[in-house]
Amino acid sequence: MNSRFGIKNIIQFILFVALQILLFDNLVLFSTGFCFIYVAFLLFLPLGINRLWLLLLGFIVGFTVDMFYDTVGIHAAASVLLAFLRPLVLNLLTPRDGYDTNDSVNIHVMGWRWFLAYIFILILFHHVAVFFLETINFQAALYTLGKTIASTLFTATVMVILQLLFFSPKRERVDYR
Amino acid sequence: MRNLFAFIYRFRAFLVFVLLEALCVYLIVRYNTYQGAAFFNSANKYVGQVLEYQSSVTDYFRLSSINNTLARENAVLRRELMQYRVQEVSDSTAMLDTTIFAATDTSHTAPYILHAGRVINNSVRRMNNYLTLAVGTADGVQPGMGVVSSNGVVGRVKTVSKDYATVTSVLHSQMLVSAKIRKDNTFGTLKWTGGDYRTAILDYIPLHVHPEKGDTVVTSGFNTVFPEGIMVGTITSVEKEQDRSFYTIKVKLAVDFAQLSYVYVVENTTMYEREDLEQQAGILTDEQ
Repeated sequence: MNSRFGIKNIIQFILFVALQILLFDNLVLFSTGFCFIYVAFLLFLPLGINRLWLLLLGFIVGFTVDMFYDTVGIHAAASVLLAFLRPLVLNLLTPRDGYDTNDSVNIHVMGWRWFLAYIFILILFHHVAVFFLETINFQAALYTLGKTIASTLFTATVMVILQLLFFSPKRERVDYR
Repeated sequence: MRNLFAFIYRFRAFLVFVLLEALCVYLIVRYNTYQGAAFFNSANKYVGQVLEYQSSVTDYFRLSSINNTLARENAVLRRELMQYRVQEVSDSTAMLDTTIFAATDTSHTAPYILHAGRVINNSVRRMNNYLTLAVGTADGVQPGMGVVSSNGVVGRVKTVSKDYATVTSVLHSQMLVSAKIRKDNTFGTLKWTGGDYRTAILDYIPLHVHPEKGDTVVTSGFNTVFPEGIMVGTITSVEKEQDRSFYTIKVKLAVDFAQLSYVYVVENTTMYEREDLEQQAGILTDEQ
């Protein structure tokens, strides 16, 4: 399992946060579908990354988005929750013979079923946290729930599109001969 | 003791998780209740620069509508100016003033100062919406001042840095605006309950008055944030509910928040004196 946090991840951080602030801030479908694409940074991190490091990265990326959204703490709290749950979900979804050395979060490498299950579970938790922290009360719970589900579908769709466009289907094979 | 450390080490991930979440909740609570003193928001210098750069690109696509608004506003101002000139020429009863405003009425003598500001960040679809303006303390903007556009009430300044200011929009779940129906001066409280960003609720209008569809709602001037008579919106529906002693009135807001590009920050020169007095008397409400 590749667990290195490299320059690639730093570039992904900048790209995803910029995408979030400059583009997806203005792109809201029918006033209900929000896209929080910056969570892709956390989801696409190496599989075997240190848990403490992951939590810290979650806080940093959430807090950065918070500063631009004027929602101090909300996205940070949701991202830290996502970072905490990620290793648990990864454990839950372990393939029959464990993760490979070269496995990474890539739709071509891990397959559609694994990828969709992985992103849907985590995005759902993140969005539930964001929207319910935003309203605080449970008066309009049904409306908030609808918003959460629509946004989860939106974010997941965008993430799959990004995967298909920019992540190579080539499996980086190490020759063991 | 060693066991304790071993325990902490074993559950380090969970403990760090709890710690970070507690920090986040603390930040959320503090930011929601506490005005000013928040550094980590879009009034921050670096965040403001990014947002200003973004709006310098997107503003090009709105130039024609911005021009239209400015031209229309100019026209209205010119018309008013002309009316005053005509009045001045034809009417020399300057002392009439004292019959409307007693000589001791300070609301007549203390003027409001307007600072024009460009909107560089804006949202309308969240539960709590904020704007960021490209004006700051260097331009005379202070926390607590009201913000209006040429069409009506926009919000209230929350935090200010040297060059930028964040504004709590009327579209914020905790923003209350003291407003009145212009027809009969009945005052109530305007608030936004989420959902459609063109519609707000006017509350606490008692049942003995008769508001009608199409009536104009303006600010009451009962506090220091907004001058009296700033446009808020028009009534679109009036409902009487069985178990309430107030009407449920829907108001269509005069300002289209999705189209804001230039706004004015209202400086009330007597704000601090009046607020001090009202605070000492213990009658200051959280309405704006």
